[in-house]
Amino acid sequence: MALSDAEVEKQINHMKKFIKQEAHEKADEIMIKAEEEFNIEKGRLLQNEKRKVSNYFERREKQLELQKKIQHSNLLNQARLAVLKSRDDHIKRVLEEASTRLSEVTRDSAHYQQMLRDLVAQGLFQLLEEEVTVRCRQEDVGLVKNVAGDAIRSYEQATKKTCKVLIDTTHLPAECSGGVELFVRAGKIKCTNTLESRLELMGTQMMPEIRTGLYGVNPSRHFMD
Amino acid sequence: MAAQSQGIKKLMQAEKEAAQVVASARKKKAQRLKEAKEEAAKEIEEYRKQRETLFQDKQQKYAGSKDDFAQLMQEDTQKKIKEIEAQVDTNKEAVIKRLLELVSDIKPELHQNILLQQQKEK
Repeated sequence: MALSDAEVEKQINHMKKFIKQEAHEKADEIMIKAEEEFNIEKGRLLQNEKRKVSNYFERREKQLELQKKIQHSNLLNQARLAVLKSRDDHIKRVLEEASTRLSEVTRDSAHYQQMLRDLVAQGLFQLLEEEVTVRCRQEDVGLVKNVAGDAIRSYEQATKKTCKVLIDTTHLPAECSGGVELFVRAGKIKCTNTLESRLELMGTQMMPEIRTGLYGVNPSRHFMD
Repeated sequence: MAAQSQGIKKLMQAEKEAAQVVASARKKKAQRLKEAKEEAAKEIEEYRKQRETLFQDKQQKYAGSKDDFAQLMQEDTQKKIKEIEAQVDTNKEAVIKRLLELVSDIKPELHQNILLQQQKEK
């Protein structure tokens, strides 16, 4: 029943071959699996890390855009403000120049006298008092005395009331270009009707016209009152 | 009997070698996985460098365009200011004359209180 030596040898070699084959098949399996896992792992890592890098740079690029927009907006604003300021400065200067030229208004004595009459009358019409003190420049005292009567008469005609006008001994300062101030009730109420005060009032009330006069009609303006 | 033990020895040797083959494969697998990490890291770094370069370019471009824009704004502002000066020069005289006219144009008006009173009396 025992196998011959040769047969044993043959069996053993057969088994050896079998063992070796098994091992190599197993090794191949392992290598295939290795390759698979390699690809999966590498792919996963790449995807994750790339995404992180991408997000990071996207954020930085967005910040850059934002900064640029902010800078542009700031520069634009600065430019607009500079233009507006320039306009305002010029208007100021124009009003200042007008102020220095108020003396042109008083040049014609006869005309200026009429003005004084009307300025006093205007004051009386607003104050509605029985006794009013008028203060003017020293050089205008004569003119005011001349027209006080006319002013009072206008007042009486319009209001059916009478009033008394006194010329103040204090005078308006020399820097004043003309006009009058009116006081009642021992100086408690004062009505300023000097040329300077009128110009100032004009400056505020006439601002739209001044602007249009200097710069032309503003196409972006929608409200005119 | 000697042949028997020899045979067994041979088989055991074959088993040993087989185990080594498998072990070697396992070692290679581990190595391969390590390579996955290394290669990924290298490629990521390449990618990052690329993006960094792109970003730097963008930054340069933006800096340039900002200066251009500032220059443009400056020139535009100067132009507008000069226009304003010209307008004022042209129109100033007329405006001032008008203001002085209005200063001389005095229209006395009665205070509201007495107007109301007069209305009541009517």
